[in-house]
Amino acid sequence: MDFYLGLIQIIGVHTLLGLSAYCVLHTGQVSLAQAGFFAVGAYVAGMLTVLAHWPIVPALLVAGVVAGSLACAVGFPALRVKGLMLVVATAAFGEAVRLFFFNFNYQLERGGFHIGPHGGEGFRQIRYFPEYGWSTLEVAAFIWVVVVLTMAALWWMDRSRAGAVLRAVGEDEVAAQSSGINVTVVKVSAMTVGGVIAGIGGGIFAHYTTHIEHIQFGIVLATFAVAYPILGGLSNVFGTLIAVIFIQGFLIEGLRFMGDWRNLLFGGLIVLAMNVRPRGLIDAGTITLVKRLVFRSKERASA
Amino acid sequence: MLVVSDLVAAYGKIEALKGVSLRAETGRITCLLGPNGAGKTTLMMSIAGILKPRRGSIRLGDTELTGLSPARIVGQGIALVPENRLVFPQMSVLENLLAGAYQRGDKAEIAADVERMYDRFPRLRERREQLAGTLSGGEQQMLAVARALMSRPRVLLMDEPSLGLAPLVVAEIFRIVSELNRDGTTIFLVEQNAHMALQVAHHFYLMEQGRVTFSGSPGQLAEDEVIQRAYLGARRAGG
Amino acid sequence: MIDFVQNTIDGVMIGASYGLLALGFTLIFGVMRRLNLSYGPSIMIGAYLGTLIYVQFSAGPVAVVVMTVLGAVLAGIYVERLCFAPMAASAGIASMVSSFAIWMQLEQAAILILPRHTYPFPPLATGAPLELGPFLLRIDHLMMLACALLLSAGVQYVIYRSRFGLALRAIIGNPVAAHLVGIDVKTSVMLAFAGASAVGGIAGYLVLAIDQQVTPMFGMWATMKGLIAMMIGGLGSIPGAILGGLVLGVVEAHSLWHFGPQVRDLVAYLLLFACLVLRPSGILGDAPAAETSIGRRSA
Repeated sequence: MDFYLGLIQIIGVHTLLGLSAYCVLHTGQVSLAQAGFFAVGAYVAGMLTVLAHWPIVPALLVAGVVAGSLACAVGFPALRVKGLMLVVATAAFGEAVRLFFFNFNYQLERGGFHIGPHGGEGFRQIRYFPEYGWSTLEVAAFIWVVVVLTMAALWWMDRSRAGAVLRAVGEDEVAAQSSGINVTVVKVSAMTVGGVIAGIGGGIFAHYTTHIEHIQFGIVLATFAVAYPILGGLSNVFGTLIAVIFIQGFLIEGLRFMGDWRNLLFGGLIVLAMNVRPRGLIDAGTITLVKRLVFRSKERASA
Repeated sequence: MLVVSDLVAAYGKIEALKGVSLRAETGRITCLLGPNGAGKTTLMMSIAGILKPRRGSIRLGDTELTGLSPARIVGQGIALVPENRLVFPQMSVLENLLAGAYQRGDKAEIAADVERMYDRFPRLRERREQLAGTLSGGEQQMLAVARALMSRPRVLLMDEPSLGLAPLVVAEIFRIVSELNRDGTTIFLVEQNAHMALQVAHHFYLMEQGRVTFSGSPGQLAEDEVIQRAYLGARRAGG
Repeated sequence: MIDFVQNTIDGVMIGASYGLLALGFTLIFGVMRRLNLSYGPSIMIGAYLGTLIYVQFSAGPVAVVVMTVLGAVLAGIYVERLCFAPMAASAGIASMVSSFAIWMQLEQAAILILPRHTYPFPPLATGAPLELGPFLLRIDHLMMLACALLLSAGVQYVIYRSRFGLALRAIIGNPVAAHLVGIDVKTSVMLAFAGASAVGGIAGYLVLAIDQQVTPMFGMWATMKGLIAMMIGGLGSIPGAILGGLVLGVVEAHSLWHFGPQVRDLVAYLLLFACLVLRPSGILGDAPAAETSIGRRSA
């Protein structure tokens, strides 16, 4: 049972990570900095609960705000570049954040122990959940409350004017600009929202793993973050969730029995998925198809 | 002779060509007129092998061209001067010409042909070391024609060579088209400029909404009528 | 002052290897305008095969070079067939994600070939370093610098003077027009990929022969260093790739000396970020080429 709860937690946290990239992708930008924002959230939230004894929810909110502010600050210079240059620039930024934490030491002495981030050894003993007696089930439930709230907010945003503006910028920047949209503001806002979500996700990640170190937040995690929404498709938030379940649940956990051969198949299956559905597992076509099916069955029911 | 029969091409579910049949007689200028969106460029791209048609056949002499790669089609003796010219902007005029002769191995002959192109288009000689992207629209059109001729085609396809050019330049382009034809090149021309096209063409087709709606020689149909249908389409023009 | 010069010399030497890695990257990026994250890992496959014949059959240096380059080329073609050839020009991100997946696959394949963490790699040249006054020059470093300059001159020649190079530049300029003049675009792109992997294979061999060991981390290392050097030097510029590598090497050597190994990498990434934001086209790249979008206005 705990195995499945653990998996559900992983899926929840990775969904948040994927959604943070989903936000940015809407404006046509691919950001490999999401793992960096995720790391910032993880370290900030961890330090607040461990060193300052904050409760979890305000710690997560502050983690989100800090990561979001950083994303906003990075957004302005980074969005001057486009396309693959932006991919590389954000990747460089993400790696710089990781290496910052690799060198980051801030330890306090508590009862004869040194606690806090300790450079390359990472940040151990983020024991908020066990100390306050949260069961695995409760932690999983907490994570999913956050995930559902985030998905609902993004779902609503997709359907609001804000979503239309984001898509307009993503589809054709020049056209969006000429119809009076301030492209820079839109892009930086999307980056900021993405940063907030990544920060909160990172904060949760720090608390359920209880031990974080810089290597976890590298380019691999950054690419996963982008891979989820791209694999899932950008038409709505469920695509990202399905992609996370596909990758984390099926490809990583489901294929674990294959041992060393797993990664070979893993790579092959992702490539296959991208070849068969370059616009994502769930695209606009899928939605029309589902709608039509639903509609037809209703018609049949009424007939 | 280039023969297109019953050609159907589509983008997804939208059929751009709905069974087009026409022919470009050897040694003549054949012209295809029609409004925007009639499927003219789709037809040209299908003949050149860039687009794969759904059905139908394209034959040059006895050779079936459908299914061949664009490179093989060039090898068969067809060259397309594409819409919007599509010169290689970061390459010099000379390199553009050499790229046009990509499939040929005869270095001395290629050099001689480059000289011939410079004689025909003196502006290109003046600008041979200049990057093609820095040329004017008219010069780019000359370059695109010269580049296509470098493959020594039997049939030259031209897609809207007058697009976006000043009237004097347009006249120059059509003078060159007649000249090339007099030197023995078969020409199949897509145009919106019906007035100019009808002056050079031996035979012309009208195309509307993916279908050929008229075939005949200039003079068979009043120019007013042709222009109206070429710009607006018969259905709307006729009411 | 002596330290400063010695650091700069060391930086140039290490930078030569970065430049070589960037050279292969530039070929792929220049032609396809796509990011191949599997570039380093495919070099690593070659290196692992080279190590395999060295460890198992104590093969000589020539055999190891050939094996490394051959393996890198085969792995490169494998990547191109799976991640780049089938994708539409507009699906650049799908290609990048796919190449990332293949990265994991190749890394796993390397571990399956040789499961230990570290393997020895045959050294390039042994012998005492040259002494120039107070400065030291390692012979294998000099050989690497020479290779970097020779190879970049060779690649420059192929791209700007050969028929194949003409085809590649035509494809970069306008892929539809390249088809129309009779260039076999698919084959040319695949050959460019193979060539890039071969250059990468040579770079990988030289780097590993100097380190005298290979680990599964090499793939990621090669991708990142090549990418940074290429970006600093300028997209699509061959001298830029080498220059970018040298700049990166020198900056790294100095920050290593002053701040230690952990800060060195941090400085490298900050340098890249600053370069991209302040001068997106790099030192020698030209802005219009970097902005060219391929095939969007076609048909």
